[in-house]
Amino acid sequence: MPKPAKSIDLMSDEQIMEAVKNGNLQQASILFDRFHKRIFNFLVRMTGDREGAEDLTQNVFLRMLRYRQSYNPEMKFQSWIYQMARNAFADHYQKQKQLKPASMEVEKLHDSLPDLAEAMEQEETEKRLIRALAKLPDDYRELLVLTRFQHLKYEEVAGFLNMTVANVKVKVHRAIGQLRENYFELENA
Amino acid sequence: MDRQKWEGRLIDYIDGNATEAERAAIEHELLHNEAVRTLYNQLAELMGVINEAKVQEPSTSMKANFEKTLQEELAIQTKPKKTILFSPVLYRVAAGFVLLMAGLAIGYKINQSNIESDKLVQLQKEVEENRRMMLAMMDNQLSASQRMAGVSVAYEMEKPDDEIVSVLIKTLNEDVNTNVRLAALDALGRFSNENQIRNELINSLKTQKDPVVQIALIQLLVEMKEKSILDQLEKLTRDAGILKAVKDEAHAGILKLS
Repeated sequence: MPKPAKSIDLMSDEQIMEAVKNGNLQQASILFDRFHKRIFNFLVRMTGDREGAEDLTQNVFLRMLRYRQSYNPEMKFQSWIYQMARNAFADHYQKQKQLKPASMEVEKLHDSLPDLAEAMEQEETEKRLIRALAKLPDDYRELLVLTRFQHLKYEEVAGFLNMTVANVKVKVHRAIGQLRENYFELENA
Repeated sequence: MDRQKWEGRLIDYIDGNATEAERAAIEHELLHNEAVRTLYNQLAELMGVINEAKVQEPSTSMKANFEKTLQEELAIQTKPKKTILFSPVLYRVAAGFVLLMAGLAIGYKINQSNIESDKLVQLQKEVEENRRMMLAMMDNQLSASQRMAGVSVAYEMEKPDDEIVSVLIKTLNEDVNTNVRLAALDALGRFSNENQIRNELINSLKTQKDPVVQIALIQLLVEMKEKSILDQLEKLTRDAGILKAVKDEAHAGILKLS
């Protein structure tokens, strides 16, 4: 007797992605349901722009469909989709830089992040956190968003950032240290 | 206090990643070191705020947008694939090789054609030189053998031009040497289907005085079934100054043509 088909709910992200890769595109919907909120939150923390983050999230899942053949089943799906989200953000960041007039080139992305803080109905502390985060260098902000907001393990982040776990840990500690300074400076401002 | 070092230790402590010995050392410092205590309080507050940070909710339209994208991708997937000539890759490589070879062959051919074109130019030059030499030979009044050689060259020609034809006719009618005249007649005979030459041959019969050439000319014109010479043949049969052999040939011609 043939084995009953495994329930979709029990299938791992990797198994579903492999099915998508093999032509079962409809199953991509499951992956969207499982990951789109996380990817959106990563991108909204990186861009500070809800609308822009939604567009980028759509772009990430479009990339997932378009580049499905490049998926390596030995790689954790989550790492793969975060890598795509990072690429989508990097492309967006480059485009923004090109679109801005020369006088605004020096304007850093984090300058827009406080707008998110104003737009959100949040505790004063969280608004300050967003502003403090905006003052961090991009690599520090990315590391903190991935490890502290998205709760990815150091090992996984080290994998797709091509860093050692020890290096990730050191950089995360330094990022928190700098965030602490920013955060308490804003408290006293 | 090494602030960076203590930040690292305190973050591990707050995260619950410190060993028992590290925890004891940190707790001792927290009791006795105000700077470490302040740092700890700040880090604990910050990390608490991070942990409490709200998860943003994306708009519900995102799912609908994704489904739309998915349907578009599905449509692309189910669309009959464009026929790609020479698939799989190996065939394409082979086709590429064939095209390359064809390109080389065409290139070679063009090159050859250029070479041949050069050869043709060279040949044409040589022909022109030969032609000039032939005309010069036919015009050599001092040597019958030279004129004979020139006419022989004309005989070998595919299609003589007007200048050569006119020289050949002149030779046929005026050359002092019978053999040269006969050779010219042979040469012209080869092109007797040309109206101009045909007419010239008919005219030559009227003026030709060399009996050997007259006989050969009658034979040729009869062979050409040139009935317009019947009157001329009649005249020859009645001409008292004509050799009997010529008259006989004229009679035979009349019989064949009438």
